[in-house]
Amino acid sequence: MAIHFDKVTYTYQPNTPFESRALFDIDMRISDGSFTALVGHTGSGKSTLLQHLNGLLLPTSGSVTVDDITIKPDSKAKAVKPVRQKVGVVFQFPETQLFDETVLKDVSFGPQNFGVSKSVAEETAREKLRLVGISDDLFDRSPFELSGGQMRRVAIAGILAMNPSVLVLDEPTAGLDPKARIDMMQLFESIHAAGVTTILVTHLMDDVADYADTMFVLEKGRIVKFGKPSELFQDVDFMMAHQLGVPKATQFALLLAARGMQFEKDNLPITRKALIAAITASQEATHG
Amino acid sequence: MDKLIIGRYIPGESLIHRMDPRSKLLAMFAFVVIIFLANDVIGYGILAVFTFVGVALSQIKLSYFLKGLRPMLGLILFTVIFQMLFTTGGDVLFQVWILKITTYSVQNAFYIFMRFVLIIFMSTLLTLTTPPLTLADGIETGLAPLKKIKVPVHEIGLMLSISLRFIPTLMDDTTMIMNAQKARGMDFGEGNLVQKVKSVIPILIPLFVSSFRRADDLAIAMESRGYQGGEGRTKYRVLKWHLIDTVLLVSLAVLAAALIAWNTLK
Repeated sequence: MAIHFDKVTYTYQPNTPFESRALFDIDMRISDGSFTALVGHTGSGKSTLLQHLNGLLLPTSGSVTVDDITIKPDSKAKAVKPVRQKVGVVFQFPETQLFDETVLKDVSFGPQNFGVSKSVAEETAREKLRLVGISDDLFDRSPFELSGGQMRRVAIAGILAMNPSVLVLDEPTAGLDPKARIDMMQLFESIHAAGVTTILVTHLMDDVADYADTMFVLEKGRIVKFGKPSELFQDVDFMMAHQLGVPKATQFALLLAARGMQFEKDNLPITRKALIAAITASQEATHG
Repeated sequence: MDKLIIGRYIPGESLIHRMDPRSKLLAMFAFVVIIFLANDVIGYGILAVFTFVGVALSQIKLSYFLKGLRPMLGLILFTVIFQMLFTTGGDVLFQVWILKITTYSVQNAFYIFMRFVLIIFMSTLLTLTTPPLTLADGIETGLAPLKKIKVPVHEIGLMLSISLRFIPTLMDDTTMIMNAQKARGMDFGEGNLVQKVKSVIPILIPLFVSSFRRADDLAIAMESRGYQGGEGRTKYRVLKWHLIDTVLLVSLAVLAAALIAWNTLK
């Protein structure tokens, strides 16, 4: 499911003293099956852009095309709703959106809103809850009895239960411990591998390097750079200047380079794996 | 929700912005009373001039005040039309069946209209030029005399400042939760009444839950910073009474006196 942004601009509270423009002429192509990372400073317009992906915000001008549905400034709510089922958005701290009596009911809320029958919705809910690692004995508990990490998993299952073909994640690992973070990123990786286009909004460049195949850099409501992470992270000065930084592996490679180790030009490693491979290769080269 | 002007604060540097909130609050109350002293076109003219001088001094565009009027427009028109139709006496200008429009009713409708507009303009002026927390400070010090009759003034002031501080946060929470539920296919404001009421639950419950959690966290954070109640506290934001505040109150007194004099002279 490809998503196209065509000259999208967005202004908050137009014609009031609080008017502020958040997006300027955004042109963006997210191709089917990609794992796209969206990075940018706080206040760069990431969240605003994210809400355009499923029609929560309508562009002030320009258009967003999701598959065969085009969202324009004057689109009607009815025309936009099908987009919400195709594009599942996991907002930041999604555990705050739980409300129903039991975990199972909460997760089946989404599909039921799109007209799926109760029994089918609950079946999907069970399947997705198991997928995110919630055991069967918790299904009939109140979501408010769970731990923070479990609540987040339930909330994510609630989005997955709609069977979206695009999954949008807004800092899904914020506030999680390191182990839970890795587990969760691997869960998303496996969902992506099953054919779901994934869009990740994050501040963690390591996650971008490890998982994403495309990245967009947003600044002050504009896309200032886009391409493959392995290419963009080569421009270390640019990333530093925009206060985004580079992955830890790249930082370490830079330290090694400063001490005389040779890396192929424009081919600094961005993941740990690539760094290990580069070091091994240079060891072999020197020791023959 | 974003379009609401009433209750918002617009930062500025004008004379009105720099005034003491106590004098502004007092003036606001006094003005509401004074409005009822006016009972003819000249009286309302004077009050309107007074209001517009305030609006001009605040250096805020007139259009924002008009926007503040908009949510109340229905109520104003409703009252004005009823005044028009059901006031008796005076010369009949126009009559349909038992409904008469007389000179008196037109007059009364005009007065009611002016009262509404002036009060709304003045209160909009107060909220647009006073930061909410300063307003809460003003109310707290204004209520201070009530301590003598065992009114928990400090607690009221504290609750007021905390509520004001959390209004925008709760609004953000509400928007966030609404968006999250919309993303899960929820429709708001559609269907029949029962469906509409039901669609509020997925917003209200998370909102209450997060408010409880926030209250808990805030109470713990306050206690760990040594908060023990109102006794023996000092103040960081000290309100300052300027010359302009005295001028405001004196001019209101003169205004009231002038209106009373005009009424008796007539």
